[in-house]
Amino acid sequence: MSQLYLFATLAGTRIAVETGEVEAVVKLTDISPVPGMAPHVAGLSALRSRVLTIIDPAALIRGMPTPSDQRGLAIIANIAGHSYGLMVDGVTDICAVMEGELPLRGQLDPAWVPFARGLVEDEHGPCLLVSLANFVDTGSVLVAA
Amino acid sequence: MDELLQEFISETQETLEALAGEVVAWEINPADRDRLDAIFRFFHTVKGSCGFLNLPRFERLSHAAEDVLSDIRAGKRAADPATVSAVLAIMDRIGELTEAVAMGTALPNGNDDFLIGQLAEREVNAGDDADHRLTPVPAQPASRPTASQVAPRTIRLPLSLIDQLMNGVSDMVLARNELSRKLRERSADPELDSAFDRLSTCVADMRDVISKTRMQRVDRLFTAVPRMVRDLCRDLGKRIDLSLEGGDVEMDREMVEMVVDPLTHIVRNSVDHGIETPDRRRALGKPEVGQLSLTARQSGNQIVIEIRDDGAGIDTRRLVDKAISAGRLTPEAADRMSEAEKLDLIFQAGLSTAEQVTAVSGRGVGMDVVRANVERIGGLIALDNHPGKGLCITLRVPLTLTIIPGLTIQAGGLHFAIPRAAVVEILHDNNETLAIHEAGGARIATIRGVRHSMIDLEDVLGLEKPVQAIPRAIMVVRSSSGVPFAMGVSMVENHEELVIRPASPLIMASGVYAGMTLPDNGRPMLLLDAGGLALAAQLPNIIDDQAARAQDARADAQAHVEMVAALRFEEISGERRLLPLSLIERVEDLPADSFGCSGGRAFVRLEGRILPVANGLHRFDTDTVTALRLRDGVRDACYPVAAVFDIVDMPLVPDMVAAHGMVGGVALIDGEHLEVIDAFALFAGLPDEQIVERTSGRCLLADGDDGWTREILAPLLRQAGHEVVLGLAHDIVAGDGDVILCSMPGTTVAADLADRPILRLRATPRSAGPEDSSIYRYDRDALMAAISSARS
Repeated sequence: MSQLYLFATLAGTRIAVETGEVEAVVKLTDISPVPGMAPHVAGLSALRSRVLTIIDPAALIRGMPTPSDQRGLAIIANIAGHSYGLMVDGVTDICAVMEGELPLRGQLDPAWVPFARGLVEDEHGPCLLVSLANFVDTGSVLVAA
Repeated sequence: MDELLQEFISETQETLEALAGEVVAWEINPADRDRLDAIFRFFHTVKGSCGFLNLPRFERLSHAAEDVLSDIRAGKRAADPATVSAVLAIMDRIGELTEAVAMGTALPNGNDDFLIGQLAEREVNAGDDADHRLTPVPAQPASRPTASQVAPRTIRLPLSLIDQLMNGVSDMVLARNELSRKLRERSADPELDSAFDRLSTCVADMRDVISKTRMQRVDRLFTAVPRMVRDLCRDLGKRIDLSLEGGDVEMDREMVEMVVDPLTHIVRNSVDHGIETPDRRRALGKPEVGQLSLTARQSGNQIVIEIRDDGAGIDTRRLVDKAISAGRLTPEAADRMSEAEKLDLIFQAGLSTAEQVTAVSGRGVGMDVVRANVERIGGLIALDNHPGKGLCITLRVPLTLTIIPGLTIQAGGLHFAIPRAAVVEILHDNNETLAIHEAGGARIATIRGVRHSMIDLEDVLGLEKPVQAIPRAIMVVRSSSGVPFAMGVSMVENHEELVIRPASPLIMASGVYAGMTLPDNGRPMLLLDAGGLALAAQLPNIIDDQAARAQDARADAQAHVEMVAALRFEEISGERRLLPLSLIERVEDLPADSFGCSGGRAFVRLEGRILPVANGLHRFDTDTVTALRLRDGVRDACYPVAAVFDIVDMPLVPDMVAAHGMVGGVALIDGEHLEVIDAFALFAGLPDEQIVERTSGRCLLADGDDGWTREILAPLLRQAGHEVVLGLAHDIVAGDGDVILCSMPGTTVAADLADRPILRLRATPRSAGPEDSSIYRYDRDALMAAISSARS
């Protein structure tokens, strides 16, 4: 069963995202910061007439936000009716993977545990399969706590 | 199959909503064949569809209802209230079941047999006793167009599609703006410009049309009301005439949903607490049937919804008592409150005037929640209370959820927006009326004697406070529920209409933001939530009562300088003085020779009376003298003056009390020192023997019914200082000095009055003969002389 995946680099790690979750990948321009938020909420950015909430997943995983001069691309996703942009280091490819989702193997870095769903293997080897919604949901839980 | 089911569900729900009002209308007028048909069609459709979709419970219910309705259609049964209730109960159950199917949850357990039984039971009873009442409902074959015939063709669209369309149009507008900027940079090309203008018009039109797709008729808001009022009336034994108006006004779809709950609550309150029971209404002299009217209209970019009833209104006294007993209010504070402030207590949580908690309302969810809900969507609620006569509640809500007037502010180098409704006032921190103090780390801003908690927006949001050359702005911010507080920001930039969109839950979770907006510069901006900020800063939520007290003290101080109207005049001796206006009956010009002096006392002859002159002896150079006629209620006095200037307000107590003679003190009016005549001294100084009272007799006017006597003669006599009695009553006792005047020829006077002098007036100047002793009625001097001579 073949499935399309978007392959990207996030916090130095190769990840894969189901293309069904992805709306677009854009180059980030201006980000208006939102004060009083958890560090992984980078701010708001306008995409044409839409306003995106920009999430910095690296801050969730490595505990430190991406410096503003290294901000590059963001994956746009619609999660629960709101538009989000998730910052990634880079996007490598979109391709179909025959095997689809594989179960996790090995000891996972605890930082990745809340986000990793499984593994996806392309020609370069295994990547973590993540669900974008998890970055947003976990975020709200953290803020509330 | 799923699609079919989905369609069935949404169609059923929609029809149910629309029908609820129809059923009630049908109950009021059972002869309305169209409505009956509509209801019948509904059950018929449900029955047909659910047989196909395999929903047996629906089928049984609708089948039973359909049977009853078809009997009514055939005239075998009457649409009595019980039947209507049973039909409504079935509709409710179908609604519940539909909901459950839509949610995919288990069907609610309920005894369908019971409902069906209720229908059937009535059937038996109706058959027994109501034969004679039954009149077959006459079919009205297409006598007037039914709703379905005139309804415009519609299609069902998912909301998300419309939102997508909206976004698309918004993008288009932005692209147009960019294009317009680019075009302006290039050299002007008329052809290109006109093409671009056409595009602009199209885009603008399109945006308008798309906005309309979000609009919905207020009708939808009203659909549930008739049913609710009917049910409540039945439960509470009240009779209410409900009128709905302005259903065709349109408002934002989301707004309709936000207003439903507050409106429902207000209507419930009106029916439950406002409108009295028929017995009570009769006792109060009101019509038994209460009036409840709902009107909607558009006013600018607001929708105004009025809920008016003619019930008991709000008893503010009871509200205050409740608040005091609940410990919310001290009796002293209550005394200081104005009626409007007392009325405002109804919006306090947990206060209700309901004597007891009823099943309908008064369950603790009160007007406070209503107000909070209305204000959350940028609306306002106002009460117009007429105790004993009724209450009118006005809701003002914005046309759409999305556009609100707001202020843009700068803090910590960032831009924010705040709803204008939340801002009470704005001042610079170098303003003289403002003082900021610190106590134990807490900052207190005192503005004109009112202490506010003071926070800086940067501190609440954890921002750096940049050093700035210009003074910072202090805003007094009030949330719907909380106490106003002062908030410092770098500056207030602008006032504009902001298109607000919801922020993502991640951002809303922080509690200090209410939404976001995208201004023209393309940099998203957050809308601050005033209540959330106060909460985040953990500000105390206690109202500063001191200011109100101080205000009271000021009001008291002001009461001491209560002003009264006074006449400013010039004495004959030249001083300017004041005399309280209430003492002065009139100002008149008198001939100088009517003033005289006798035994060291001055007097004046006035229309056959002699009045004392209050301010002593004078010689007059002119032929006429301006004089004030004073009256203390019993006695008259004349006060000749040189000139009368104007009427001014003078303090009740003169600015300087310095009593000597008739002068009571000095008042400062318009920078001029004026002596104030002491009214007490003035009347006390009058001669005590009553020069006037000699003519203490009355003028009895025999022809009291005569118009001339009443309208012309009586005022003339009264003006001359005579006491006038209209008509000769049987029990009248004529005393010494009384004179009887007859203005109609041939008027007879009862024998027991015949000893009093009788003056006869005639309408012609010429006397009828030498024996005729009557007086021409317009000969004032002769008349006055005759009266005084008759008395002596």
